[in-house]
Amino acid sequence: MKKYTLAILLCGVIANAGNFSPSMQGYIAALKSEAKQADSSFVDFNAKRGEKIFTTKHIGKSGDSISCTSCHGSNLTKNGQNPTTNKIIKPLGPSVNKSRLTDIKEVQKWLRRNFKDVYNREGTALEKGDVLYYIQSK
Amino acid sequence: MYKKIIIPLILISGVYADDDRWGNRNDVAPVKNAIYIKECGSCHFAYQPGLLPQRSWTKMMGNLENHFDSDASLDDATTKYLANYLKANSAEKGIEYKRSRKILQSIRPNEVPLRITQTRYFINKHDEIPKKMIIQKEVGSLANCTACHTTANKGNYSERAIKIPNYRAWKDD
Repeated sequence: MKKYTLAILLCGVIANAGNFSPSMQGYIAALKSEAKQADSSFVDFNAKRGEKIFTTKHIGKSGDSISCTSCHGSNLTKNGQNPTTNKIIKPLGPSVNKSRLTDIKEVQKWLRRNFKDVYNREGTALEKGDVLYYIQSK
Repeated sequence: MYKKIIIPLILISGVYADDDRWGNRNDVAPVKNAIYIKECGSCHFAYQPGLLPQRSWTKMMGNLENHFDSDASLDDATTKYLANYLKANSAEKGIEYKRSRKILQSIRPNEVPLRITQTRYFINKHDEIPKKMIIQKEVGSLANCTACHTTANKGNYSERAIKIPNYRAWKDD
């Protein structure tokens, strides 16, 4: 019975990682090894933790209390909007926007910038992986 | 005989050349660079490089980590590429375009404006617009060119193409 549960769990983990586009697999693997290095008890990233990072408000670069949802909205299958410039931001969820999470350079660029905008620092490997799992699930 | 034709033609062309109402000439060189549109246009309107002088773009591109309260940093190669693009297309390079010329003329030599909205020419052109028209949610701020200038993405800011959301046609008088 225990073995059976473990097998299902494992399948779940593999399937989750498998959802990422082939071009992203290498980046996710690199983040995992970095996270493991930082904390040897690390097992896998977690979309639930990612959601918390994504929705939690923090005094950001501008001095205002913002979260990722301030621009991207709380429904990632819908358009967001930059509150400063009014520019529409296409949905982040790969289920409705196939181009999301396909280009590593783009993903790295936006994670770097947006962590700084919201949290005033770069994200750790664990935080970036968690957020990517969350976005990937949408 | 020729005089009869040529003089009116000169007069007419003079009127056409500087009159906003005809609105069919570009006021500033339009943006055609796909990398500029992608990298700079993802957060805001891809402002034509001809709307600011070279020194403004150079200063801006030197501090993308702190770009109007936001981190807009790019990798070194892209930063360099776009800095060169902006330099090659700044207002000084397009003085045959009316808006480039007038913006440039309105900036003092010791000034290095980072906001187009803070150049004297821009301020003079927009200072009569009631605040309520600007702060409404369809516009937000004067930096949102396309909200009212319907042909801004073509480099055309003519009065004729202005449509302020929720208000009647704008008359500048």
